[in-house]
Amino acid sequence: MRLFTLTLLAVWGTATHAATDFSVDAETGLASWQTETDGIQVRLTQISPDQARAFYQARGFSAADAERYASECVFMTVVRNIGDTPIRHRLADWRYVSAEQPPRAIRSKADWERLWKQQGVTESARIAFTWAQFPTVQTFEPGDWNQGMTTYSMPRGGQFDPHFAWHADGKLHKGTLEQVRCADEHP
Amino acid sequence: MNIRSRTAGAALAMLLLLAPWTRALAADLPPLSHSLTTQPPRPAPTLRLKDLGGTAHDLAQLKGRVVLVNFWATWCPPCRREMPSMERLSQALKGEAFSVLAVDVGEDGDTIDAFTSQFDATPTFPILLDTQSRVMQAWKVAGLPTTFLVDKQGHIVASAIGGREFDHPEMVEAIRGLLKK
Repeated sequence: MRLFTLTLLAVWGTATHAATDFSVDAETGLASWQTETDGIQVRLTQISPDQARAFYQARGFSAADAERYASECVFMTVVRNIGDTPIRHRLADWRYVSAEQPPRAIRSKADWERLWKQQGVTESARIAFTWAQFPTVQTFEPGDWNQGMTTYSMPRGGQFDPHFAWHADGKLHKGTLEQVRCADEHP
Repeated sequence: MNIRSRTAGAALAMLLLLAPWTRALAADLPPLSHSLTTQPPRPAPTLRLKDLGGTAHDLAQLKGRVVLVNFWATWCPPCRREMPSMERLSQALKGEAFSVLAVDVGEDGDTIDAFTSQFDATPTFPILLDTQSRVMQAWKVAGLPTTFLVDKQGHIVASAIGGREFDHPEMVEAIRGLLKK
């Protein structure tokens, strides 16, 4: 894998300034952004529209419903506690910022669930969907990590800054990944 | 070829089709660690499910044994990575009062068969089907994989979120410590 390291400073209110590492998988052409700050490691890896379609159609989504999800900008998201105290994450605290747009919240699993029920997506497909998304709330002990999908309402190739937040030692901490880019239709 | 093996074949074909997807998701994941977070003992929730062969398993019937309960799914890259080490752990502690219960969430037997058939050593521990994810919710699992260690009295005493190397010497030592109690 080729690894390019961009030293980008995170600026989000009182957010800790930390570098964002950028890498591209030579085989898939998909890009990842990762940062480590204050005992947390956060990584976003592009999921291509075709991958999103294939995954959900294989789990019972119709082509049209899978397309609805794939029309979003989808990332595999990994959060890891690399510190020595527990951290608590709440996805509702996360925001993403793109040019000329106010900060937006990540669409919740509950919102998706409502949509899938309206669309008549089967229960088994909805269960698979729920567990494939990044957890809404979770506590990570030192060494714990988890992964799941997060979605952003951005166009193909669109660029944005995800602002993540977590609680540790009774305080809210914040960090930023900079210049994250949505996957193209064909990476 | 019977219906089940034909269906498993189709599931395997689907897994192969999705291989690039899995490859992308598994790229550069954090390494499997071997930490367990100890907890004040609390009674384990009910866990009563059927395995791939239709045999019912009940955690309550395993009192007197230390039990590793692992929640997983075939599409979850760290779950796939850690499963061979769970089998090695199971073999390392064979003959002792230790059991592994691997609870698959939301998938059918054919999908799981297609996945486990890719292993050099097919898992010898029971793989239980939580097709409606109700047990997972009762155990308050927020994401996959999540693992619990249950002591001989049926209490959860440790947990781990994320992939683990289950046969790491420190992990084996922790379990042996529980076996002595």
